[in-house]
Amino acid sequence: MLRRAFLKTTPLLGFLASCGKSAKIRLALDWKPEPEFGGFYAAPFDKHSLEVEILPGGAGTPTVQMIGAGSAEFGIVAGDELVVARSKGNNVVALFAVYQDSPLGIMAHASRNLSSIGDVFKGGAVALQQGLPFAALLERKYGFGRVRVVPSPNGDITAFLNDEMFAQQCYITSEPLAARKKGVAVKTFPVSDTGFDPYSTVLATSDDTLRKNPAMVKSMVAAVREGWRAYLDDPKPVNEKMHQMNPSMDADTFAEVAEVQKPFIEGAPNTELGAMTKPRWDTLIGQLKDLGYIPAAIPAEECFRLL
Amino acid sequence: MKTLRAILPPLIPFVAITATMEFLVREGFIRSYLLPAPSAVFLAIWNNGSELAQAMLKTSAAALIGFALSTLTGIAAAVLLSSSRWVQKAFYPYAVFFQTVPVIAIAPLLVIWFGYGMQTVIASAFVVSIFPVIANTLSGILSTDPALRDLFRLYGATPSMTLFKLRFPAALPQIFTGLRVAAGLAVIGAIVGEFIGGGGLGSVVDIARTQQRVDKVFAAVLLASLLGLALFGLINLISRITLHSWHASEQ
Amino acid sequence: MNAAAHAGVALRLEGVRRVFDGTLGKPFAVIAGMDLRIEAGEFLAVLGPSGCGKSTLLRMIARLDEPDGGRIVRDPDGDRAQTAFVFQDAHLLPWRNVLDNAALPLELLGVAHAQRRDAALAALGQVNLIEAVDRYPAQLSGGMRMRVSLARALVTEPRLLLLDEPFAALDEITRFHLDVQLRELWRARGMTVIFVTHSISEAAFLANRAVVMSRRGGAIKLDRTIALPNERTNELRADPRLGQEMKLLLDAIEE
Repeated sequence: MLRRAFLKTTPLLGFLASCGKSAKIRLALDWKPEPEFGGFYAAPFDKHSLEVEILPGGAGTPTVQMIGAGSAEFGIVAGDELVVARSKGNNVVALFAVYQDSPLGIMAHASRNLSSIGDVFKGGAVALQQGLPFAALLERKYGFGRVRVVPSPNGDITAFLNDEMFAQQCYITSEPLAARKKGVAVKTFPVSDTGFDPYSTVLATSDDTLRKNPAMVKSMVAAVREGWRAYLDDPKPVNEKMHQMNPSMDADTFAEVAEVQKPFIEGAPNTELGAMTKPRWDTLIGQLKDLGYIPAAIPAEECFRLL
Repeated sequence: MKTLRAILPPLIPFVAITATMEFLVREGFIRSYLLPAPSAVFLAIWNNGSELAQAMLKTSAAALIGFALSTLTGIAAAVLLSSSRWVQKAFYPYAVFFQTVPVIAIAPLLVIWFGYGMQTVIASAFVVSIFPVIANTLSGILSTDPALRDLFRLYGATPSMTLFKLRFPAALPQIFTGLRVAAGLAVIGAIVGEFIGGGGLGSVVDIARTQQRVDKVFAAVLLASLLGLALFGLINLISRITLHSWHASEQ
Repeated sequence: MNAAAHAGVALRLEGVRRVFDGTLGKPFAVIAGMDLRIEAGEFLAVLGPSGCGKSTLLRMIARLDEPDGGRIVRDPDGDRAQTAFVFQDAHLLPWRNVLDNAALPLELLGVAHAQRRDAALAALGQVNLIEAVDRYPAQLSGGMRMRVSLARALVTEPRLLLLDEPFAALDEITRFHLDVQLRELWRARGMTVIFVTHSISEAAFLANRAVVMSRRGGAIKLDRTIALPNERTNELRADPRLGQEMKLLLDAIEE
């Protein structure tokens, strides 16, 4: 009773703090403005009477915790981290999956003539973000005994370029392009080939927000859907806007990446933008339980909502 | 009895805060996925004992080596800088650079130059901790009592005699002040270096954070703080022994 | 006692000038042309108000400062060992014990360990500090520290002993005792002593000759031979002749 009263007052205090200005909706990104977020920057929020502030992120931005703590109403998360969050009591729910397939992969120098993802772990070094479920899966499947595992350089390819035996975790839509531009031929192995294929770049909110303001959330999803349609049709104007905010990626690369990411977003033929299915979530939950990331399976239908 | 009286004052707030936090998390006032209950943190230490111990050993080694290097290099650099005003004006700004550059920005550069492994972690600890050593040592050497300097001059002491018999020993209290600051910074530098270069407690924090295991994150952070505290305490002890005669009370 | 070994130094100051940069960058002459003769073996007190240049004078005589004009001639001139300086505070090295502090000048002059140890012990004996040789400055009272400082000054058997208000920070009783001790040391050794002080009673008690400097410019307002017996004990403190000398000095300072 006391707890519920306390939990009720904190958002009230937050509301009181923001009184005087119109309630802004915050959307927290988990990386810098890049084509993977194009649809969000293209979304016609005004048309849906929404005042949305997009908060760019960077390495390690804790979007899942931000949603849980209430410092953002919406956030971009990965499907697997959403499931883990729910299992810990942080009730985040998925609304719109931008990437139908995971764009994660391992890239290696083409000159090594590796034939499958398992070959990467036979020697040399590989940079992985070790806490991630896919890294645990790779370790279990192939073993890390013969390869040197180092932390992921978060998009930096300098070590990769300088060392032929250095492989690294990447977004298939990103680092391989940068490497090719620097004159290094690469071979990329999608992680999804192992069967681990969570939805990625997922728009999520908290159970609380959804329960208290279903109309607003519905409008949000509608606006986002329209934004992605618009971005896929013509990425140029939004690319320019994002390039202003993120000059570390040049304009040509923006265009290239926007093109390369299309199949991940469009998915199988006749898939609606942002669609999610229960079987996909079931599979993911089973895999995470198997890897020991969650103690018990959680109901898939609680993880996502189609609005 | 005397030890109890020394420990009791800081112990009381610690117990009070820990108990409060435990209560708040258990009753749901604080969400456990944002801030873990103290009991969860201690459990995480218990359950991951050997992993954390190994990680702590690695971080300690890197921090200690980095600290030792910055002590030797820093003192030597300060002695050199003290030799002439021109040398000071020419090179001190570069020493300031080590203070102002954000380590989180140069850590990736360190990995590029030194590769993945402990050498990068040591380099990171070194870069972060060297400036206070230089600054405090230089300040100590330059602020020698003018009357004593006159005394040395009176008897025709050479500059090196004045440096080793007067200015350097006189600077010891300030040198130790610099070392105290550098000790804590060396631990921070090591952890940041580990974020980028792998290994040790930094790696535990990074991986646990990715796994959303807040209890393990706090456990590793707690151990890192204890490490910093231990190093600080060690410097304090050495300082007290070395400067013992300076402060011995009247018999 | 070998008079030649302990003989003092004669000094001649001719037109000595010392100019400092003033607060507004305007240079001003702290000492504007001083002439002064000091005989070997004299005990000279230098008096004057704050800022009159007495410390500057002492430093120039010690060759810690160079005059901007004129010259200071010494006879005999020569080695570094012959001048010693006692500062207002003891200024001991806190990380060294009493013995090593006293031995410092000889160490700087390159004297061998055994010799300087003996000399330091002898000097400490002169100031009655033998029982404290192993102690550290932090364990000593103010008076004891000043005695170490004195011993340090005496350890090279100097011909010229310069003291800049050495007892000012001490309590009166200690001061009285140290005054007597200093006077005795001077009588035993025969070196030239120049003693800068603020204290009229101390100047009159200690010195054979007192010089009063003017407020500005370093001119000498009074140069007087003190008319008191050679042997000065604390009995003298009650002697009316001491009071007369003090009055004369006071008048010179005040006019």
